Amino acid sequence: MAKKLTRRELMQHSVAAGGLFAAGSLMPVSPALANQASQDGAEITQTDRSPAVLDHDKVVQPRRELPVLKKTGVLVVGGGPAGTAAAFSAKRMGVDVTLVERYGYLGGLATGGLVLGIFPLYDRNNKQVIFGFTEEMMKKLDVMKYGIIDRHKAPVYPTFDAEAMKYILADMTLSSGITAFLDCWGVDAIVDGRGAVRGAVFESKSGRQAILADIVIDCSGDGDIYAAAGAAFEKVKHNIGLISRIGNIEEVDMAPGRGSEGLPREHTFVGKIGTGRPSMGRVSDFNGHAGNSTPAPHVNWLNMAGPVGDALDVENLTELELRHRLGTWNNVEKLQKKPGNEKVYLTETAPQLGVRLSRLLDGAKKLTYAEIQSGAKFKDVIGYSGAYALAPEFQIPYGCLVPSKLENLLAAGRCISAEFKVADITRLIPVCWATGQAAGLAAALCIQDNVKPRNVSVAKLQKLLHEQGAYLG
Amino acid sequence: MTLLRRVPRRLIQLTCFIGAIVLVWPLLPWTIAPRLFQQISPFVALSSDIARRSIDAGAILALAVAIIASFKKRWFCLYLCPTGFLLENTSHVGLRKSRWWGKVPPIGRYVAILTIVGSIAGYPVLMWMDPLCIFSSPFAINKATNPYSAVLVSLGLGVLVGATFLFGMLWCVRICPLSGFQDMLYISRKALWTRLAGRAAKRKFAESAGSGTSGAQLVNISGASASNAAGSRAKTSPDRGSKTLRESRRLFFAGAGGAMLALLARRVGAARYRKGNTLLRPPGAVPEDRFAGLCIRCNNCVHACPSKIIQPDTGREGGLAGFGAPLIRFDRDYQYCLETCNECTQVCPTGALTALPLEQKNKYVIGEALVDNNLCLLALGKKECDACELACPYDAIKIRWDEDQYIAYPGIDLNKCTGCGACQVVCPVTPVKAIRVWTLKSA
Repeated sequence: MAKKLTRRELMQHSVAAGGLFAAGSLMPVSPALANQASQDGAEITQTDRSPAVLDHDKVVQPRRELPVLKKTGVLVVGGGPAGTAAAFSAKRMGVDVTLVERYGYLGGLATGGLVLGIFPLYDRNNKQVIFGFTEEMMKKLDVMKYGIIDRHKAPVYPTFDAEAMKYILADMTLSSGITAFLDCWGVDAIVDGRGAVRGAVFESKSGRQAILADIVIDCSGDGDIYAAAGAAFEKVKHNIGLISRIGNIEEVDMAPGRGSEGLPREHTFVGKIGTGRPSMGRVSDFNGHAGNSTPAPHVNWLNMAGPVGDALDVENLTELELRHRLGTWNNVEKLQKKPGNEKVYLTETAPQLGVRLSRLLDGAKKLTYAEIQSGAKFKDVIGYSGAYALAPEFQIPYGCLVPSKLENLLAAGRCISAEFKVADITRLIPVCWATGQAAGLAAALCIQDNVKPRNVSVAKLQKLLHEQGAYLG
Repeated sequence: MTLLRRVPRRLIQLTCFIGAIVLVWPLLPWTIAPRLFQQISPFVALSSDIARRSIDAGAILALAVAIIASFKKRWFCLYLCPTGFLLENTSHVGLRKSRWWGKVPPIGRYVAILTIVGSIAGYPVLMWMDPLCIFSSPFAINKATNPYSAVLVSLGLGVLVGATFLFGMLWCVRICPLSGFQDMLYISRKALWTRLAGRAAKRKFAESAGSGTSGAQLVNISGASASNAAGSRAKTSPDRGSKTLRESRRLFFAGAGGAMLALLARRVGAARYRKGNTLLRPPGAVPEDRFAGLCIRCNNCVHACPSKIIQPDTGREGGLAGFGAPLIRFDRDYQYCLETCNECTQVCPTGALTALPLEQKNKYVIGEALVDNNLCLLALGKKECDACELACPYDAIKIRWDEDQYIAYPGIDLNKCTGCGACQVVCPVTPVKAIRVWTLKSA
């Protein structure tokens, strides 16, 4: 057994050997040793590894060259609503597009997060104001059985099915000609000597790899890439929840066409609920009207606000992932105790935590709540959001997507440059589709016109957006 | 007086009528103008001041009116009263022009006594019969948000005009408590004059007849004069005496009735309040047991409210006693008690709504907002709704996360909540709002 080295022992050997070299040596650490460990036909192929080394109680990552997986025109980091909108829109312009996504499916919070409602789609007069990629997706969902419900029923927003959305995105990925890498986590930015972004680094089962790109679009949601590249940003905290789907809820008022015609379903109340004075005691339990209906019959999606958390803190995230799943199960048990809900069961908890906001870019323009309240008009408008809560519908300027200093990068999705209260709206699914589409087209224009993102011709961009059916107010 | 006599009475009346409209509308950029208009009435001023146990500065005007009215019979009715002017002109085109009401007892006096005695018990029972508040009430019709309110605000004057058209000047002459009150002032003043004159005459007589000023003599004289006076009245006109007696008895009963009604109404009001019915009164309102009494239904507050949330009660909420009294209703889109406004508290002529400066009004608690988590979209996981939190002008609502129940809900800081209703009107849940303002429930 003495010759049989465990992996840990191997590591220790490596460290011993590596210790001879100064930390940060370009030399790959002891590939020979690794080869010696090969035995019994179990070939160890990791000949070019350079693990982190423990050097005087400090863990040091040796300097090493990363394999370049691909050179591309537009690199989209994050395959959520913004990322997919950006990738597919840019591809239509004929540029080379690469999309990377950390999960095994596309759609981000819209699919894996089970945020199934397409809101804020309407303005205060219940007129639809978000089109473009959003409308495109909804039209694709329209033709699918159990794909989408409540189309054109403002102020009730449409609700789609997560699996239908995953299907559409997978289909589009395969047919559009973009290069996609799933299960592939963008971990770092690649910047050149002048500080301009030139690509990004990814971690996957294939190891750490680089993708070089002319323009990078950060659709990571958390702004991981622009933060890594050194762009200025604001770190914020918001509630982090976990959405779930509950099944067998036929007996309740949510099933389409059951006793709530003419009334927004989420506004329905039944029986004597709400007629009495609320108690001032503890917070009351869930009752039988939890969640919103989904296209799947007898299935509701159940939102959870969750506590305010730090989406950039792995311990916080882990704690919430675990406790939210317990809380969801417990709440469904409470639900089952209410008359008519005995057969309700938990279909699934969302694979992804419902992170709302984490980083907000310091962009060329920071959209303020005062501006959207006053109905500010922007010359460089590239997107439009519907009315939400007390905020009216509003324009989103191009400056929100462009970092204040960093070059070759655009942001889209929830991490764009906006005040917290505005970002609380721009983080929503159709607004992410809108900013994603704009960012994708802008990136394509950068390549075609050979300009920096901040110098893109806004007139051209707006023309392209109009051509793709976007509404800009 | 001679000057007044020379100017035609009609012209003065017309001027006062127009003046009243200018005050009540109000065409003047003067918030408290409508209030001053009703405070001219000595009946209202006396009753409300007694009921509140405090004297309003506006009572000076009423005192002046009272003094003139006590010397000049029904001077106010003949010259100043806009309601009187309106009804007088109505009676000219009306169906009955004869003075048929001779046999009708002077109900106005009983109403006045009943109300004033009631106000001693803290509840001026029929103060709303004052003609000035009846006159100003319909001016609130532009703030009526539903047909009921429109009918309620114009009901008083409508009934008076209609009745006058059909039956002549019965109201003004016999029923109006303000005219009855003036009559009593006039009679009392005259009686006092007679008494004083009589006493002066007697004293003169005693001085001239008596030789000394011993105590016994004085007692004798005063005793004699009293019995003498009574006797002489009984002898000269027995008929009149019994009429006076009947009158006094009626006034006594009216007063006793007023006290009883007042106490009853206060009990009912207090009970209603304790039961926790949703009687949301405008800011500055006196306690619920007295509010319906002290309120004269002038609808000044209804008229003043820019949000149109103050509406007269159809009696559904406040019962018979609360009929027509203002209630706050948060049933209009996005209309709540504005943090920039204290108008309603400034225009109340009786102090049913205490005049509050803006800062104080913004601390006045109309009610308390409570959330029903069985309806709240957020608590039910239906919608990411924080409309109430955003709407609250006093920063009293914060979305909270409850670890035990594992739900989020709008948490309300009752130390900050004033019950302005901003949250209730933005709450998207229909038809019953998840967050509603409730009356404060006494512990």
